[in-house]
Amino acid sequence: MRTLTMRAAILEALSEEMERDEKTVLFGEDVGKFGGINAVTKGLYEKFGNKRVFDTPIAESTIVGAALGMAITGLRPIPELQFGDFVGIAFDEIFNKLGKWRYMHGGSMEVPVTLRLPIGIAGGAGPEHSQSPQALFMHGPGLHIAIPSTPYDAKGLLKTAIRDNNAVLFFEHKVLYDLKGEVPEEEYLIPLGQADVKREGSDVTIIATALQVHTALDAAESLSKEGIEVEVVDPRTLAPLDKETILGSVRKTGRVLIVHEEPKTGGSGAELAAQISEEAIFDLQAPVRRIGGPDVPIAQSLHLEQFYRPSEQQIIDTVMELMEY
Amino acid sequence: MAEIYQKEINLRDYSKENLMAFYRTMVKIRKFDENLIQLMHEGKVSGFYHSGIGSEGLSAGSIVHNLRDEDYLYYNHRGCNQKIAKGVPLSKLYGDFLGTVEGTTRGLGAGIVHSADVSRGVLGQAGTIGSQFNIAVGTAYSAKFQGTDRVTVCYFGDGAAAREPLHGSLNWAGIYELPIIYICENNEYAISCHTSEMHAVKEHIADWADGYGIPNCVVDGNDVLLMHEVAKEAIERARKGEGPTFIEAKTFRHRGHFEGDPYDYVDPEVVKEWKEKRDPIKNFKKRLLENNICSENDFSKIDEQVDHEIQKAIKTAESAPLPGRERIFEGLFA
Ligand SMILES: Cc1ncc(C[n+]2csc(CCOP(=O)(O)OP(=O)(O)O)c2C)c(N)n1
Repeated sequence: MRTLTMRAAILEALSEEMERDEKTVLFGEDVGKFGGINAVTKGLYEKFGNKRVFDTPIAESTIVGAALGMAITGLRPIPELQFGDFVGIAFDEIFNKLGKWRYMHGGSMEVPVTLRLPIGIAGGAGPEHSQSPQALFMHGPGLHIAIPSTPYDAKGLLKTAIRDNNAVLFFEHKVLYDLKGEVPEEEYLIPLGQADVKREGSDVTIIATALQVHTALDAAESLSKEGIEVEVVDPRTLAPLDKETILGSVRKTGRVLIVHEEPKTGGSGAELAAQISEEAIFDLQAPVRRIGGPDVPIAQSLHLEQFYRPSEQQIIDTVMELMEY
Repeated sequence: MAEIYQKEINLRDYSKENLMAFYRTMVKIRKFDENLIQLMHEGKVSGFYHSGIGSEGLSAGSIVHNLRDEDYLYYNHRGCNQKIAKGVPLSKLYGDFLGTVEGTTRGLGAGIVHSADVSRGVLGQAGTIGSQFNIAVGTAYSAKFQGTDRVTVCYFGDGAAAREPLHGSLNWAGIYELPIIYICENNEYAISCHTSEMHAVKEHIADWADGYGIPNCVVDGNDVLLMHEVAKEAIERARKGEGPTFIEAKTFRHRGHFEGDPYDYVDPEVVKEWKEKRDPIKNFKKRLLENNICSENDFSKIDEQVDHEIQKAIKTAESAPLPGRERIFEGLFA
């Protein structure tokens, strides 16, 4: 099968869906002629013209608010925030509007917005350009949250997100843009709410998202040499959450480690751990463990940056500890 | 600086029927309001209510005879005025206040800001005032994108005009030449604060639009016909693809910010002056009488019809059931 980078896979998904439906509109800061600061929208302006692909002023709340206005009047907007961290500027529009407009007005509208948000630590971008704010929105009813870890998942999930009649927040880890993976030529879709078991194992379940899926897989390889078989589950969407797959794996292994790059406190792992303890406490042989980023802002220094991201060694050590119980 | 919009208006240029429609709408708004307040006093409606009494001319003038069902509208938080002018059935509005399934939200309850009537282009509002600024540019972009001549009208108060999104919105509307009409309902106060204390702009709120190259003006919002004319010009321009307009319409609140507000931060003489001399309904009626266009009888007939319509609407809304618990799980996703 051919391989593509995640950047190319996302671009392909955007292009295919824009070709498929002429009501799709793509916009954001520098997404047009420039092709996006992460080069994810390159060529779309040339292909679809300035009516369907346009650069906006630096005005995040307007970008998201306008997307809502377009969506409830028949378009399928695909806005981009240059950095996911900027959700703070558009927080009211995302949290109080995108996710609630349909519901709070009685249910007669559709909100087919796909908001793309690059996230993650990636080369000294500093405390306001490196964060992973997805957990904030698990707390906001009405929003779907997709967070792919492979080119294959990214393409299939994004196509579904664009066709979905609800608001989907689509988080893309910046480090993954250059990751290569198999992507079939033929069309496929991945439903929202279907986790993927990235590696089967019988001893410990690691639930990981985005870049951490790969760190977990590397750790699992090393642990396998020690005779410990780790199962790696990637939820792929945090909302809706595929509880069935997650709890199924937990019941099989009886040991859980959750890994994400977000600060540990109040991160998505906190919610996963709570749900697991609510529903599978008697299947557990050890406490649920979490590895997240430290609860401090992310330093600009490339040297310090590495200390914020969960490492393979941290995962290995924690799995070893879990095996002691 | 924004110009003061003025125009010689010849009543004979309007049909009697059209003039009476303005009156009917204004009376409907006022009586809706008075009856709602009555329901609040009876303890049947909870929550905040921002009465629109005093500014009926602004909404009736700009909407009646100017907007079609397919035009989009974002009302403000005194916006029952605009919803009624756009034709949203009264029973649906009362239903939202009473929380019965007759409401546009089928029982969720909505107060002023969460009711929507998509079939009449009323697309909702939010509890965070000024949220409509950004959404409105999306709607206008959408109308233009789809090659329609639909316009988007965005109402907001002078207080809401201080929200940052107004500037993002004006900038977009200017850049993309969007078919959008901003109507600032300047009733001088944002709760207790006077406009002059809240805006660094030199003279008029409409002056801001100048900076974005958007045509703008200030108008007497209590003159229903002037309001009709100024909105008509803006709407025609927008339909022809000539872009946005900013209208600042001057009016005043007859009541406090919300029901229960003692309203002691405004000199009672000032309120009295507005109520007696600048009531949009009273003045319009007087003008039609003085010009021998209508008789007292014409007005009392309309008053009676509206009273009847309101009683019927309240009955419909009140007799509809409250929803069951399952309602809260409906309608989150499409
Ligand atoms: C973002 C936000 N801030 C504050 C409030 C509280 N609030 C509701 S109405 C209002 C005053 C609005 O004044 P204005 O826009 O002039 O409208 P008016 O009440 O005069 O019609 C305030 C401060 C709110 N609802 N939303």
